[in-house]
Amino acid sequence: MPLLLAAAAIVIGAAAVLGVWYYGSPRYTDVGYRPVQPVAYSHKLHAGDLGIDCRYCHTAVEQSRYATVPPTQTCMNCHKLILPESQKLLPVRESFATGRPIEWVRIHKMPDYAYFDHARHVQSGVGCFSCHGNVAQMEVVEQVQPLSMSWCLSCHRNPAPHLRPLDQITNMTWAPAPDHADWAERFMQEHHIRPSEDCWTCHR
Amino acid sequence: MSSLKDDRSLTGRQYWRSLDQLTGTPEFEEWLHREFPQGASEWANAWSRRSFLTLMGASLALAGLSGCRRPEEKIVPYVQPPEDLVPGIPVTYATTMPWGTSAYGILVESHEGRPTKIEGNPLHPSTRGAANAAIQASILDFYDPDRSAAFVREGVNTDWGAFVTFWREQFLAFQAGGGRGLAVLAEPSSSPTIARLRRAFQQRFPNARWIAWAPVADERRQEALRIAFGRDLQPVFHYDRAKVILSLDSDFLLTEDEMVAATHGFAAGRRTTSEKDRMNRLYAVEGLLSVTGANADHRLRLRAREVGSFALALAAELARQGLPLEMLGGAKIPQLSGAAAQWLAPLAGDLLRARGESLVVVGRRQPSAVHALAAALNEALGNTGRTITYVDNPDVARSDSPGLAELVKGMASGEIQALVMLGGNPAYNAPADLEFRAALAKVPTTVHLSTHRDETSQAALWHLPRAHYLEAWGDARAVDGTLSLVQPLIEPLYGGKSDSEVLALLAGGDDARGYDLVRETWRGLIAGDFENGWRQTLHDGILPGQTAAAVAATVRPGEIAAAIKAHQWEVASADARGLEGIFHPCYTTGDGRQANNGWLQELPDPITKLAWDNVATLSPKTAEELGVKNEDLVRVAVNGRELTLPVWIVPGQADYCVGLALGYGREAAGRVASGVGFDTYRLRTAAAMHAAPGVSLTPTGRSYELATTQDHGSMEGRPIVLEATLDEYRRDPDFAARAAVVPAFMAESPKAQERELVREYPSSWQEPSYKDGHQWGMAIDLSACTGCNACTVACQAENNIPVVGKDQVRRGREMHWIRVDRYFEGDLEDPRVVHQPMPCQHCENAPCEQVCPVAATVHSAEGLNQMVYNRCIGTRYCSNNCPYKVRRFNFYHYTANYPETIRMQQNPEVTVRSRGVMEKCTYCIQRISRGKRQARLENRTLRDGEVVSACQQACPAEAIVFGDINNPESNVVRVKKSNRDYALLGEYNTQPRTTYLARIRNLNPEMPA
Repeated sequence: MPLLLAAAAIVIGAAAVLGVWYYGSPRYTDVGYRPVQPVAYSHKLHAGDLGIDCRYCHTAVEQSRYATVPPTQTCMNCHKLILPESQKLLPVRESFATGRPIEWVRIHKMPDYAYFDHARHVQSGVGCFSCHGNVAQMEVVEQVQPLSMSWCLSCHRNPAPHLRPLDQITNMTWAPAPDHADWAERFMQEHHIRPSEDCWTCHR
Repeated sequence: MSSLKDDRSLTGRQYWRSLDQLTGTPEFEEWLHREFPQGASEWANAWSRRSFLTLMGASLALAGLSGCRRPEEKIVPYVQPPEDLVPGIPVTYATTMPWGTSAYGILVESHEGRPTKIEGNPLHPSTRGAANAAIQASILDFYDPDRSAAFVREGVNTDWGAFVTFWREQFLAFQAGGGRGLAVLAEPSSSPTIARLRRAFQQRFPNARWIAWAPVADERRQEALRIAFGRDLQPVFHYDRAKVILSLDSDFLLTEDEMVAATHGFAAGRRTTSEKDRMNRLYAVEGLLSVTGANADHRLRLRAREVGSFALALAAELARQGLPLEMLGGAKIPQLSGAAAQWLAPLAGDLLRARGESLVVVGRRQPSAVHALAAALNEALGNTGRTITYVDNPDVARSDSPGLAELVKGMASGEIQALVMLGGNPAYNAPADLEFRAALAKVPTTVHLSTHRDETSQAALWHLPRAHYLEAWGDARAVDGTLSLVQPLIEPLYGGKSDSEVLALLAGGDDARGYDLVRETWRGLIAGDFENGWRQTLHDGILPGQTAAAVAATVRPGEIAAAIKAHQWEVASADARGLEGIFHPCYTTGDGRQANNGWLQELPDPITKLAWDNVATLSPKTAEELGVKNEDLVRVAVNGRELTLPVWIVPGQADYCVGLALGYGREAAGRVASGVGFDTYRLRTAAAMHAAPGVSLTPTGRSYELATTQDHGSMEGRPIVLEATLDEYRRDPDFAARAAVVPAFMAESPKAQERELVREYPSSWQEPSYKDGHQWGMAIDLSACTGCNACTVACQAENNIPVVGKDQVRRGREMHWIRVDRYFEGDLEDPRVVHQPMPCQHCENAPCEQVCPVAATVHSAEGLNQMVYNRCIGTRYCSNNCPYKVRRFNFYHYTANYPETIRMQQNPEVTVRSRGVMEKCTYCIQRISRGKRQARLENRTLRDGEVVSACQQACPAEAIVFGDINNPESNVVRVKKSNRDYALLGEYNTQPRTTYLARIRNLNPEMPA
């Protein structure tokens, strides 16, 4: 009987640990997060079917820490003329008329003490796809990677498979060539790419 | 006391931080042997730690589950984005901080429309890319939540429109009499727009009065220059060209105007790259121990009223040694005694040898006759036109104390019907015997424009909120004539109005915008295409090519001789019963303008190391005779006016004088400064604005707790500061390297074990290699550092360092990442002073890292000692094991209750730390990161000088150099190659990345020892 109890305690204990390990990890809690946005904006339509480049809206991605969510003005650049009466676009027109911003729900959230920098990654040959998945095929955007520290570090430790030519950064369908490893080695040398694993690279 | 004996370096100097240490009191011993002071590290409460944990555990269990849901966070973009604004990329604007008749050209960093950090403008002559504590802290003044946000008439809130209507009625009424009964009390300024509007006002109201006044100003110097030259000239000092500098009671390195440029020039003449270099030599004659005196090679203690006699005796000695000084004819030369008498011949000789390369500067406390004499000496020594030049400043409005006294008389007699006060706080700081408050009550219409609803505002009929310089248009002229613009970075935070906007209403009844007013002035200032010139000035911060040419000025010997004859030259007349009271602006908060500023209040005074209070300072001998000690409350009485305040003993102060810092004891300053310290303005009368004779000091038997940091972080008898005289340095150029590696107290120790330690041991650690990539390092030149504290405040602004309050400072919990240690050396009554900035040393073999149980402090590949807040569990082992005592622990969540506006100041690139974590200097990792990302964006490697730490950037002496020690071309490598370079506690093999350059003093061998 005591043996059985001990065995049960071990099993329950192990289950609890593994349960927290798995269900508490960002891979379980965060991946697939797909909140409802105030405007039913379709990335599939705009970025996929119409082929608008990511940077048309996320303008600061090559210069700033933030990729930036576009101002209402950017939507209205086209939608003054295209579907000016659409019901779906009512919140956009309202925002533009009243000057009250649209409050989008943040999907990809980093902790406050992690200082992620979009520009540094994009300029180093990390494509949008690597972290955000194939957004061009998403009707509603969701998180596809855990964005956990171990996930970040896995790439910082071995960046080569995640690099691509700088002119292919926003291309969602780009695939590495068979000699990718050789190319990546050259690319890393040319561009001084030595991703750091120091704490203060991201936390400060 | 044992540690005192051990406190010796190779050169046999003995350093001490406080009187307690020198005498080895039990309190000091206790302080020394506890890592954290009483109550800081243990649970001294009646509640046991255990019962606390039990209760906390229970409440945690209940609260724990509520945090499981992912909080929804919003992203709120612009609707129509401002042009050229990229979120996440700060923009820097050039502007100007007006400061009395000076102007400091600055660059202000703005994050998405919030100004967050101020730096010096390299193009501006008054800052040259550096700053001081006041400039750095002015960003906090801007966000001060206690600033006034309302137009108030007789206690009732109203608006600007109501005032405009009100004033237009007054305007018409006064116009009839040409302004009879109307008066304006402004602050000294050098703004061309204010000057233009003032002229318009005076034209419209010829019978009105216009007075500029400030409690601390260079009135006596300007009076002397009018005597000497017959007109109002602005002196410009060129300390960089001076080889021998004599300071007569002048604190040009801290509290006098233009301290940034002065420190820059002084340090430039002091820095040596090798033992072969020449150095300048500074003689200081002063009563109180000032930062300038602390940096002097030779310092003479004289009460303020005796300094003049010394100057006159020196002039006579110079004449005796052959300098033609005709204005001395007939003057009775005072007979000096003691050290002062011995000083005359060698000092005069040194000044004569350095003709054309010497400089005599006189402090603002000294009477005009001394200033006039100095002007004559400078001319006779051939310094005029070289180390001192004079320029015309047509737009300047200077402080006028006699004018103020006249005005108050008019107010009291009922002659003044309306008084408009543009800034200032005369109800608080006007000379006490003028009874300004009583006179103000007799004026029917009083208007006060002020950032705070202060003492004057509360007594005035109208209070108008005043715009801060970061939110208003304006302009200013630097002392050398350089013109610069003040441009706003943000809409007025509290709806304030600028001086020029109010003045335009006064002068013409116009409700004009500041922008239009300034542009109108500048149409007459910019030559050529206006729009181009305007834009260029806004961009650069200065109008190019507008430095005023030095005017040829020759002193008028007759007038100076008359002034010398008329002045009453005094020789020693004080004793313990009748002290001399010396009023001085506080070394941190100035004259009280910036009192409601937590950074400056908490900044330890560079001499006393006191924060959050002002005191009556006494020399050790005077204190002993009076039977008082530190923290004793005494009653100070001058001419029937009394004030009770605590005593602090300052070694090096002249005997029989008492130093009284101004700017404290406010009633209506705001949440930071109200009720802090003691109002010494109450003792200050129009006849004795600077030095008051016959001060009596009576112990009350009570005491008052003060917060001082002087014993915090004591390093017990180890060779911390190294210094040598220039002669010693030339004889033994490698003294620093040797002294630091093999400290005398160990090499000569009688214990065999300690002698053994000195021999080289192979390290038992596997030393990591730091050969690749950037390797960051810093060098701090103790010869250049003056101890001005600019670095501490700059660091606080850059790194979101909290203000903790007086009680916490008393417990040793101040949070400054870079502190400036002050050491005394030598004689108790007349010590020499050394300042040493102390940030994290970033040891390669960091003792803190080896004891952290959770790896919250670890080393980076670039040689940085990293602190990871989210790993820290607050054991504080690291701080225990740090030999430099530079780690700071958040005992409370100090920033939790910060008002919204103060949060707006915080740097978004730096984490705001919470309770229970350790923190310390990061070498400004966010700036390193910014530099590296810029290099990445431009696909190149970092250039030397691209990453500048906040302390380095602010340092007016350029004493701090930071950079990549792996780059052989870098400046920091060049500096570290100096033979003065030494690692602090290098014998511990901590391999610090921050090293120091030993201090060199340039003594005159002919001077008395």
